[in-house]
Amino acid sequence: MKWQKLKFYMTTIWAITIKDIKIFFRYPINAIFRIVEPIMWITPVYFLAKSFQIGGENIGFKLFSGTSDYMAFLIIGSIIASFVSAILWGMGFSLKNEMDSGVLESNWLTPVPLLVQMIGRSIFSVIITLINSLIVAFLVWLIFGFEIGNGIVSAVITLFPMLIALYGIGFGIASLVLITNNANNVIDITNYLLNSISGNRFPVEILPRVILAVSLALPLTYGFDSVRGILLETNTLLPLYQEQLILVLFMFVGTAIGYFILNKVEKYCKTIGNIGHY
Amino acid sequence: MDTTYESIRVSSKANASPSILIAIVYIFKKELTQFLRYPSWFVSMLIWPVLFPFGYVFTAKALSGPASSGINTFSALTGTTDYVSYMIIGTTMWMWVNWMLWGFGSSLRREQVLGTLESNWLCPIPKTTLLFGYSFFQLLYSFVFMGISLIEFMLFYNFRFTGNPLLALLIIVASIPSIYGIGFIFASIIMWVKEANSMVFLVRGVITVFCGITYPLAILPNWMKGVSSFIPVTYSIRSLRAVISAGARIGDVRTDIMILLLFGVILMTLGILAFNYTQKKVKETGSLGHY
Repeated sequence: MKWQKLKFYMTTIWAITIKDIKIFFRYPINAIFRIVEPIMWITPVYFLAKSFQIGGENIGFKLFSGTSDYMAFLIIGSIIASFVSAILWGMGFSLKNEMDSGVLESNWLTPVPLLVQMIGRSIFSVIITLINSLIVAFLVWLIFGFEIGNGIVSAVITLFPMLIALYGIGFGIASLVLITNNANNVIDITNYLLNSISGNRFPVEILPRVILAVSLALPLTYGFDSVRGILLETNTLLPLYQEQLILVLFMFVGTAIGYFILNKVEKYCKTIGNIGHY
Repeated sequence: MDTTYESIRVSSKANASPSILIAIVYIFKKELTQFLRYPSWFVSMLIWPVLFPFGYVFTAKALSGPASSGINTFSALTGTTDYVSYMIIGTTMWMWVNWMLWGFGSSLRREQVLGTLESNWLCPIPKTTLLFGYSFFQLLYSFVFMGISLIEFMLFYNFRFTGNPLLALLIIVASIPSIYGIGFIFASIIMWVKEANSMVFLVRGVITVFCGITYPLAILPNWMKGVSSFIPVTYSIRSLRAVISAGARIGDVRTDIMILLLFGVILMTLGILAFNYTQKKVKETGSLGHY
């Protein structure tokens, strides 16, 4: 019985993924911009970094971070940040799209738990982000140039629990979208805030004390920090194994809290009947 | 049957005395009502002015180093060591353009998705009225947004005006026709390609890369400098920085203001022509409601 249920859920996730693939390729210009857009974000920061260089090197930056290769620092931050965005937008925005198109209520009437639907909505987003990140990293390497070390496998292993934990945050965001009926702002602000405070573009040590305290309380900070520590041998906030442990703990706690919130909000929305409102 | 149809047609023609101004006011009211319906838009209006420059300001701080050694290069290129004001002015202009693009792109596209665009199109008013309605709402939003931004910059980033605030306002006003001209062209393209997101990413991406939002244009290769000289936002940012941070007077920024006005005339004309052409085409092909 359990096996049958699992099979049913997997079929549902597969069906949602196929639907997302079809929608994605229905708008081919979208696919192109998934690659062009990150480069457009990185370019001004590249020129910003150049305008602070002394003798072609970011000497000042090295004193903070331990590396003068700001582009490598930035590209690692951008790749991790793109996964955060993929999960948040994949879960939250698809809900809003379905709300607008008027299919959310009928989807909720299917005998598939909301949690499974949410996971389904994020799968394609994560896959396309992975492909996208590799292409973008290659193009950025070609255009701007950067160097990373040999620890790619340990970096991926370190990142894995963080990605799972992000699903917890994704559930929380989806809950907010259901309550506020406004996806763009909720996701955009959360995404930008989380990535910025966690140090996607700079070492968090430079933040003012109050913001630094918030940053250090976010497990995402240790995700950015540890991967850079492994690949670029930058100065890390804590010993690497401690940061990795924090990420594993975050995986359990984050998903449990996210799931709990989503369940509560689902019940609330069903009670007040606002699912189809927009 | 034919007689009934004819009588309805004749009577609707007789009753239809469309006032363009009233139509604009109603579109403005509709946009305002929708905006007020979602309080989180207001929250975002409060948060973004502080949040968006945040990443750039702290990136600049990190790049300048603990003893601010990197600031000398930046200062030599920009003429200022105040990188905070420098980033704030650039990012505020970017946010304005970004909001305008999303507004124009998503308002028509959203009605296409919701299925109300065709019925709006049947109204006996010039279709550019729709764009002007959106524009006036956008203008109101932009001015409120800039007012809030200014207060927040002073509170959170210790931002201070060196130059004349009225001259800064004049530059913003001179930028309006060119920025909304881009918006009109943009709205026409959206109706063709039926994909707002990517088009917003493209146009704002070009502005992000070429207009010196966060960096001095002097650092760009020559071909990029050439491209940036064809984008009006470059002149808005340059003159605003000169006035706000360096205390430039009207004589110093007169050329930039004239260029902005010239861009305004060209882009506004192109925008209206593009929109009229597009509406004719989508009527012929019957693709107005497709998405």
